[in-house]
Amino acid sequence: MPESSIFNQLTGIVGGENASQDPQLLESSAVDGVIPKIILFPDSIEEISEIMKAASRAGASVVPRGSGTKRGIGNKPLGADIVLSTRRLNRLIEHESADLVATTECGITLTELQMHLRRKNQFLPVDPPHVQGGATVGGIIAANDSGPLRLRYGTSRELLIGMKVVRADGSIFKGGSKVVKNVAGYDMPKLFVGSLGTLGIIAEATFRLYPVPESSGTYFACFESLDEAHGAVRSLIDSALVINAIEHMNPGLAGSITERLGLGSDCKRYSLAVRIMNVSRAVEDQVKTVTDVSRRNGGKGLVIPRENEEAFWDEVREFPWRSPASPGAVLKTGVLISDVPRVFLLLDGLSDKYGVRARASARAANGVVIISIGGDKESVINSVKELREFSESAGGILVVREASPDIKPALDVWGGMGSSLGLMKRIKSAFDPGNILNPGRLF
Amino acid sequence: MQSIEETKHRSPDWKRGFGERLFGILGRDGVIYSDDELLAYDSDALTGYRIKPLFVVLPRTSGEVSRVMKMCYDEDVPFVPRGAGTGLSGGALPTEEGIVISLARMNRIIEVDIPNERVVVEPGVTNLSVTNAVSSHGYYYAPDPSSQIVCTIGGNVAENSGGVHCLKYGVTTNHVLGLEVVLPDGEIIETGGKTPDHPGYDIMGLMVGSEGLLGIVTRVTLRIIKKPETVKTLFASFDKIEDAGASVSGITARGVIPAGMEIMDNLCIRSVEEAVHAGYPVEAGSILLVELDGPSAEVDAQMPVVEEVLRGNRALEIRIARDARERDLFWKGRKNAFPAMGRVSSDYYVQDGVIPRSKLAEVLGRIGELSREYGLRVGNVFHAGDGNLHPLVLYNSKIEGESEKALELAGKILGVCVDSGGSITGEHGVGNDKKRFLSLMFDDNDLETMNLMRCAFDSKGLSNPGKVFPTPRTCVEQGMKPYAEHALQKSGLGEMY
Repeated sequence: MPESSIFNQLTGIVGGENASQDPQLLESSAVDGVIPKIILFPDSIEEISEIMKAASRAGASVVPRGSGTKRGIGNKPLGADIVLSTRRLNRLIEHESADLVATTECGITLTELQMHLRRKNQFLPVDPPHVQGGATVGGIIAANDSGPLRLRYGTSRELLIGMKVVRADGSIFKGGSKVVKNVAGYDMPKLFVGSLGTLGIIAEATFRLYPVPESSGTYFACFESLDEAHGAVRSLIDSALVINAIEHMNPGLAGSITERLGLGSDCKRYSLAVRIMNVSRAVEDQVKTVTDVSRRNGGKGLVIPRENEEAFWDEVREFPWRSPASPGAVLKTGVLISDVPRVFLLLDGLSDKYGVRARASARAANGVVIISIGGDKESVINSVKELREFSESAGGILVVREASPDIKPALDVWGGMGSSLGLMKRIKSAFDPGNILNPGRLF
Repeated sequence: MQSIEETKHRSPDWKRGFGERLFGILGRDGVIYSDDELLAYDSDALTGYRIKPLFVVLPRTSGEVSRVMKMCYDEDVPFVPRGAGTGLSGGALPTEEGIVISLARMNRIIEVDIPNERVVVEPGVTNLSVTNAVSSHGYYYAPDPSSQIVCTIGGNVAENSGGVHCLKYGVTTNHVLGLEVVLPDGEIIETGGKTPDHPGYDIMGLMVGSEGLLGIVTRVTLRIIKKPETVKTLFASFDKIEDAGASVSGITARGVIPAGMEIMDNLCIRSVEEAVHAGYPVEAGSILLVELDGPSAEVDAQMPVVEEVLRGNRALEIRIARDARERDLFWKGRKNAFPAMGRVSSDYYVQDGVIPRSKLAEVLGRIGELSREYGLRVGNVFHAGDGNLHPLVLYNSKIEGESEKALELAGKILGVCVDSGGSITGEHGVGNDKKRFLSLMFDDNDLETMNLMRCAFDSKGLSNPGKVFPTPRTCVEQGMKPYAEHALQKSGLGEMY
């Protein structure tokens, strides 16, 4: 690409103060070592549109970015000429509290959005990691990132009802609507959830919201054996309790969390954390039932004191990044609910076989396990391979969320995408014929 | 590629040959070709449109579906998928010189996996039979369209069907976890599955609600959920329907999300009461049905809040169902609202529009004005919790011009919905009936983008053609190039890790 002219053009679109070619900034914005040539901070969807028109004409590759908290996800990009930051698109457009719906620009951080929504005692019930690091709404959608609350509310996929997107050629389109029930036309917003910036720049999103529950309670229990802990999970799933989160932690993680938070429960075994959010009476009642279920299955536990509850769940969401395994990798595996104990057993086996250290937390009633695994390079690589073989043979998936620079090149980030890969590629080439949007990150 | 125009002139020889090949795939009993029998397939539940297909095929396996579609693809024969034919938007209306692929025989429940809360079914399985298969374990399948006794899961997936409990429990797309799909060229793919978070694009999410334009679903993995501990149902009567509407917003504003909230106006109350004797007060201007479910402590805490809101909005009478029998009776009234209208009027048109809950009073006022302006009665029954209106436009088709007038009025109502920030359809789909209204919500570029996506699935436009989009769209060259490898990939320099 004829560099100076396109850079002048791009700078002209956003204004000099909103474009940067500062070498230090560029280097700190690298994605898997690929250093961008320019960073742009557009202020409107129209500016994004102009940027995309110019980029597609020049064949320049574009990496959309919110706060950059999840840039370790995906393959190394095949090009990263332009980093397009959405951070200045941080306005809440409307919050129709009577309709439990809000429309926002996507560069807003989840924290900022929740602050606005709280004023009307509502919230967007997603709790992905990196919230304190500034995770933006657009980034959360693009990565389909989620946390323990997904058990009750689903991921952003279930909450997103409309969006505005800038396509690779700069055209702007909207999909969905601003009402919670709508089947007019294709459900286009779904296409962008988890698309990792490869199909368009997500500029605006409309979500359905929930009222902030009156009260919250979390019960934490430690079990002598994996069987007992899983027995408790089974009983909880089979009950009529309305549970917001069931998190099943392996000994490595349970030990470090109880120690860090000084919970007074020195748990070095399999543990379970169960969160109930509801009207106060229902929280009390149900926490009592959870306690009984846990006891019957051999659990010894406590209700986490109110003042520690948020810190506890924060730790559950953030543990792989609080004390990163280095060298190491952060993995997500999706398996059947009934296969969760087998993932834990496999981790024990890998630790014996390769000497890797694994901390893991399972969204036990969803079948999602987040794993932080550390050890020497070969051991981690071999462990990831074995974990993937297990997950895929059990009909599940394993994704490498991020990995140390020396390990990542040896790993297959996504694993098999199955028989719909060909169709995915056709969609990609229809939306981005020049392959300029995050090229190579997905496939 | 032949256009649909050209395919209209198939020779009798061609037709015979094509039929023979269908026999070869499906056996004689798997192909319907006599004029009499084809008549049963010439429309769905929207009977105003009728087109007789060339053939109807009744495959039993996804392999057979695939072979039939491949044949159609090779010969440029359009095809229309069909479940139970209960759709209200003409989505299963046959295409001239095309075939209908009925999934009625693919009606097996393949797997019930209680520990993992999953059920895997073929598309011809009815909605209610999924719940029936798991209810002894304390589970149920949440989406519950009124036609749930007969409508099929395949049809539910195509239409992204709702029901009366969507506000709290979501619609079909929130309960589908995996699909096997036969793409229009016959390729069989899988998307999603029993396990969560499959990487890549959400093909499954696109398929749900795509109204048969992207391919045919041949296997569906569903999420089942636990029955709530307690269910409490009440209805409140009001003088003014606006007060019922304000109660709905009032209840959610107090942080209560009921399992269902339904409103009926006086016209509907009267016809329903006459038909099913649900115990509704026939003199009331409107009634609001509210259902709370969940843990007993939650329901007990929320019930007084709901009653307070209702009284604050001038409820005349509040009746709480004493037992399951009375609860069923309350619901029976609501679920029979459409057929009961047949007693009041010889003909009626069911509209399906969505508005923001908060605009209820305003929109109802506007519908009333339109009704007076057109001199046609409009009954209002709706899923108030999610703003999904079903105005029933009453008319007499024997009076000349009245059918057209009714349709025009129904169309105007959609305009009111969209102007209020809503949608032209909440659950019945666009189908054949509403395609001209789609551009009220989406501009040309929005539609072009949807078409871009469709072309990635169906470059020949053979799957349920002529539906959904206001004007027929072809797949243009732009954007339809094969997957472009990046320069680095081509040169072998890019590390694909």
